[in-house]
Order: sequence, then C-alpha cells, then structure tokens
Amino acid sequence: MYNLVDLTDKKILVVGASSGIGKQTAVTLSRLGAKVILAARREDKLMETLALLEGEGHSVKRFDVQDTDGIEKVVNDIVAESGALDGMVYSAGLGTALPLQQTKPEKINQVFDVNFFGFIETVRQLCRRGRFNPGMRIVGISSVASIRGDKSKTAYSASKSAMDSAVRCIAREVADKGICINSVAPSMTATELYTHYLDKYGEDSETNKDLLKRQYLGIAETSDIANAVAFLLSPAARFITGITLPVDGGLTTC
Amino acid sequence: MTEQEKIALIEETLDLDEGTLTADTVLDDVDEYDSMAKLSLIVMMDDEFGVKLTGDVIKGFKTVGDILAVMN
Amino acid sequence: MTEKEKIALIEETLDLDEGTLTADTVLDDVDEYDSMAKLSLIVMMDDEFGKKLTGDVIKGFKTVGDILAVME
Repeated sequence: MYNLVDLTDKKILVVGASSGIGKQTAVTLSRLGAKVILAARREDKLMETLALLEGEGHSVKRFDVQDTDGIEKVVNDIVAESGALDGMVYSAGLGTALPLQQTKPEKINQVFDVNFFGFIETVRQLCRRGRFNPGMRIVGISSVASIRGDKSKTAYSASKSAMDSAVRCIAREVADKGICINSVAPSMTATELYTHYLDKYGEDSETNKDLLKRQYLGIAETSDIANAVAFLLSPAARFITGITLPVDGGLTTC
Repeated sequence: MTEQEKIALIEETLDLDEGTLTADTVLDDVDEYDSMAKLSLIVMMDDEFGVKLTGDVIKGFKTVGDILAVMN
Repeated sequence: MTEKEKIALIEETLDLDEGTLTADTVLDDVDEYDSMAKLSLIVMMDDEFGKKLTGDVIKGFKTVGDILAVME
C-alpha cells in the first residue's frame, strides 16, 4: 500500500523531545520508520521518551539550547555518531508569560535564547557540508501567538514571529542545497502548559470558554501537531518551503 | 527585607502609589489586583524570592498580609 | 596567520571540503562561489581582518590568491 508519509530509515533530530509536542513528535516519527535522535537538556526525561519509541536505532543526546556557543559541538557529535541528517524538528520552547512591566531585557533574552537563537544556531550548524543529506527537512514549532496578540505574551509572541520570519528567509537561502524549512503554528494543545492554564483559570472560566469558542475544533492533542510535522518531514511535502502551517482548530481563521 | 520594604515591592509590582497598601488591605478591595497583577506577582516572587506561586496559593491570598507571609 | 590557515578559512567560509582550494584556484571554476558566498566572504573579512570589501574589489578577485592578498 502506498504510504504518503514514509520516513523509513530517515535520521531525524528532535530538539526538545523530553516533553509535550516534541515528545509526541518523536513517537510519531518512530512509528513512520524514522531513526530518531532525541535531544533535550534533561537526559532522564529523554530516556522516558526513548522507552515509548517503536523500532530500533534511536539515540539520546543531551542538548542545552540555551548554551548557544555549545550547539556546534553537539551537532558535530550527533553527525559523527549518526551520520548526516535527513531532518530536524525544533520543539524547544519557553512559554513564559510576562506582563509588560516584567518584560525586561534579560527576560526577553531568556525567551529568545531558547525559542529563537537556539533554533537559528541549530539550523545554521546543520546546513553545512557533510551534516545533512540531500532533501533534508527542517520544521520549527512556532505558535499561533506569532500572529495573534495577547496580554503578557510580548516576548513569547515576538520570539515565534521571529522564528517564522527566519523560516521564510532561510528557505530561500538553503533551497540550492535541496533543503526545505517550514514551521508549524499550533494553538492551545493538551500539554503541561494547558494543565497550568486550567489550573490558573479553571475549566468553567470565561477565559477557557472563550478560547474554546474561537478554537472551535477543541483543544489539540499533541498527535495533531506531530502529524503535521511528520507530513512536512516527508517526501510528500517536497514542494512546500518557507511557510508557517497553522494547526489550530480554526483559531486564526475567525 | 523589612515588612515595609516588602509592601513597597508589592505596590511597585502592582503599579500602585506608595502607601496604598497595608498588611490588612483586603485584595478584593484593590481594583488593580487583576489577572495581570497576579501574573506580575508570580514573576516577582520567582525573581526576588525564588518562590514559585501556584494558582491554588494565589487563590488563597485574601489580604496583603497573606502575600507577605510567603515573601521569604 | 599562515597561507594554509587563510585558505582553510576561505574554505570554511564557502562551506567547501578542506583541501579543495589552492592559491591558484580560479574562482570561476568553483561552483560554490556564488553571490551568497561572496557575501559570506565580506562578513568574514570584516570580522577576522577588519577589512571592508567593496563590490569592485570583489569583482577584481580572479583566483584564491587574489583573496589571500587582502587577508591581512
């Protein structure tokens, strides 16, 4: 049977694979045949993700995206151990909520280090001779916050807009190398972040009801996002580059 | 940090005039104590005292004194 | 910096395998020497040697040796 999203033996690095969307993405990619390199700051959490993967040949790598200067070495090590890569998913992110008066330069930097600078540096290191296979696909996990405004989200939203802008620019620059790069913009997804959100506002709160009215397909499962990522990593998406794909249950269309 | 300094810090965090609050001030009576103010309080507590406030703890705050009690 | 080190730096800047270039290599024969590569060269020259390469200077580069001549 024809499989549209066949990732058999594709070597795909998932940065931020210890929780949430990154964790589910790693599981989904393994089910589609990929050899997944799980990366995140906490190795113990990565081992939990590793236990959920299907198939053989997966590996785990400690990867602290906040240490921007250390990314070159980590990428070098990964390529030395696993060979050139076929794909990378960047799912490391801080969902920090900061009222304007708390949005001080050092706080913005913390958010940007993880959400943006880490992304660019990882992409930069991967898009070099010998580190990628022809046809490599990169997917950044952005957010609908990239194009929507909300209280306390100045730093977060700006970091996601920055990612999406970068994706448009880099796509054009790496096209000659046969690389495609896109981002995916989820709306509220059933991760720890949503648990915190419910803890803060309550399920019956006006805030939550209002969210569900706008995000009319309900709260996304992490697999909804992972499926979109898998598609963009697959040969079926070879003509798609430089875009941000909303996976948002209708939120940004109304 | 003295109690007076702590109250001043809460006032600054909520963007209130100095001298607006006392330990007995009931938070429900403070117009400015809204969801953004609570978020500011969470960030300040983490930055200044390394204390992570949960939603439940915040809901438990009735007076300024309740906030002072966790500022250490 | 020795000539060998300079050549290695040019190779790295153009994302070429080590040992691809010599001082005699004609730039027109290097596929990777495109507009982005020239831009990378401008940035590298500024960062490493404090040199601002103009378009005219770049147009004058015929061989790797011509680049080496301004790397100081």
